[in-house]
Amino acid sequence: MRPMLKITDLSATVGEDSEAKTILNGLSLDVPAGEVHAIMGPNGAGKSTLSYVLTGRSGYEVTGGSATLNGEDILGMDPEERAAKGMFLSFQYPVEIPGVPVMTFVRTAMNAQRKARGEAEISAPDFIKKSRDVAKMLNLDAEMLKRPVNVGFSGGEKKRLEIYQMMMLEPKFLILDETDSGLDIDALKTVADGVNAMRDPSRGMLVITHYQRLLDYIKPDKVHVLAKGRIIKTGEADLALRLEKEGYDGVLGEAA
Amino acid sequence: MTTALRDFIKNPTAAELELVARYGMQPEDARRERAFLAFAETGLPHRRMEGWKWTDFKAALKALETPAAASAKDPLPDDGALVFRFTPKGFEAPAKLPDGIRMVVQPGVQAFPGAEDVPMGALAAALAGGGKRPATLAFEITSSEAPRLHFVFEGAGEASFARIVFLVRSGASLTLTESYLGGAGLTASVLEFDLERGAKLNRTIFQRGGAGEALAVTGIAHLGAEAEMTQTTLAFGAKVARMETRVVHQASGSKLNLNAAYLSGKGFHADITTNVRHGAPSCVTRQLTKGAVLDGGTGVFQGKFFVPRKTGQHTDADMQHQALLLEDGAQVFAKPELEIYADDVECAHGNTCGALDDAQMFYLRQRGIPETQARAMLTEAFIAEALGMADEAVRDVLLAEAQNWLSS
Repeated sequence: MRPMLKITDLSATVGEDSEAKTILNGLSLDVPAGEVHAIMGPNGAGKSTLSYVLTGRSGYEVTGGSATLNGEDILGMDPEERAAKGMFLSFQYPVEIPGVPVMTFVRTAMNAQRKARGEAEISAPDFIKKSRDVAKMLNLDAEMLKRPVNVGFSGGEKKRLEIYQMMMLEPKFLILDETDSGLDIDALKTVADGVNAMRDPSRGMLVITHYQRLLDYIKPDKVHVLAKGRIIKTGEADLALRLEKEGYDGVLGEAA
Repeated sequence: MTTALRDFIKNPTAAELELVARYGMQPEDARRERAFLAFAETGLPHRRMEGWKWTDFKAALKALETPAAASAKDPLPDDGALVFRFTPKGFEAPAKLPDGIRMVVQPGVQAFPGAEDVPMGALAAALAGGGKRPATLAFEITSSEAPRLHFVFEGAGEASFARIVFLVRSGASLTLTESYLGGAGLTASVLEFDLERGAKLNRTIFQRGGAGEALAVTGIAHLGAEAEMTQTTLAFGAKVARMETRVVHQASGSKLNLNAAYLSGKGFHADITTNVRHGAPSCVTRQLTKGAVLDGGTGVFQGKFFVPRKTGQHTDADMQHQALLLEDGAQVFAKPELEIYADDVECAHGNTCGALDDAQMFYLRQRGIPETQARAMLTEAFIAEALGMADEAVRDVLLAEAQNWLSS
């Protein structure tokens, strides 16, 4: 079966010309539809860079390799095109957008994606109904959805709002970048419930995390260890437990 | 006659000579003469004058000519409002005004103290009138429930001048909207406000002009004890456009909200200049100016708070100016000034100019919002804050006008 997300020998740098620094260095990874893959790795391994390169943030330059989603090359697309194709990034640090209420923002995003795909806009009543259902599941206060995006939100609220957006937009492929950071255990469960509700045979997920903790709640099909810009080890879910016990040094030492 | 008039201004430009000739055609009036002399001292203000270094009328206005572009359509609603219309040659007012609003069309010029501080205001006072147009249009407001007064400045012509004076009596309130729609080569208006104890004024200025026009709107307000003034400006600029406001807190407890947004595209210049004097203790000023400028456009913000040593005690004043340079080649000049001599005051100011935030742009685009739409959304949200205190009859229209500009 062809993988949904296929990354082959991907290299990328960050920074301007002479000061460009290689962060991804020949990274290869396949995520089939219906699977959840975790990426773990020490600080500075290139985890966040991978999520930004896949979603098209400026400031990163792809210097080699390829990345395809359902067979389509995504690296040449604008960020909004990738979003319309179904790529979604749950940000490690969600951004505050003063003056733009959550509902307005998400509805604008949803309709922009639909337009790009040649679909009809969602009606206001349908949107409100869907929003109400999702908010209920995530324990989000309706008042919060009228406030400007992320402004004055706590760390946990910001992460729950990321999941709210994900559930509203129903993307095909999800990248969760350190979604567990800044969450207490209750918030972590709520967020994980949301993510698990999104698991679907037609959907792929990449869960980037520092710690094994999140993977107690979101069970991965595969665990990859990212170090020095490459995947150096791949295993089943129990690899995360070994990493927790032996540390990156132990596992990296074994791989090297 | 011509020779004598020529002597009013040193080395006059063609445009200044035409202004002198216009003055010569007005009926003789000692107060008119004083106003014109105040203007003539400098002639059209220019870059070598402090306060005008970024907005040069002398250079921009070579001659008085009817511009090619017609007036813009007035976006502000006029339902429920009393409409007054100034064109280069005409003036229209409702036949009847309700109780609580008294209008006096004065053929003569009212005295204009402080004219030398505002050369374009002095020019407006000196050249207003003639034909059907009042030299001074005066209002006395005695009601707290008077309908909104809506002033429209439009119509093709070489030049249009107006002077309007408002006296808002104790406890009364005035809601005023002004639409400057272009059409004249030079538009200059001066509006004066005298707010008695506890009087209220909510003033909104909408300005859109052609790329070949010059425009100066001068507002001068004196606030009595516990009077409240709120002003909101939305300016799209012109070849040169200056929106100047001078406010004096002259008795304690008065409050001023002074907000403006300017949006300048290629070839447009919008200048927001303000001067607030805290001439009485315990007065409050809140000022917020926001700007967004495209390649080839210019924005100017000059704000000054003056707080005298004795009379300015317990002043509470805040001045914020924030500008977005939306493209390379956009220009913004800013000069925020606090001149404070009193020691027991709270005065703050902030001034920022920059591009849209990359992280915000990426966040919107990652969610599927295309770049131009994302930019418009962020800019609109940024600008909207400065329009939030406009009268609710026009607030949404101002936002929509800003939106249209941002998405085109």
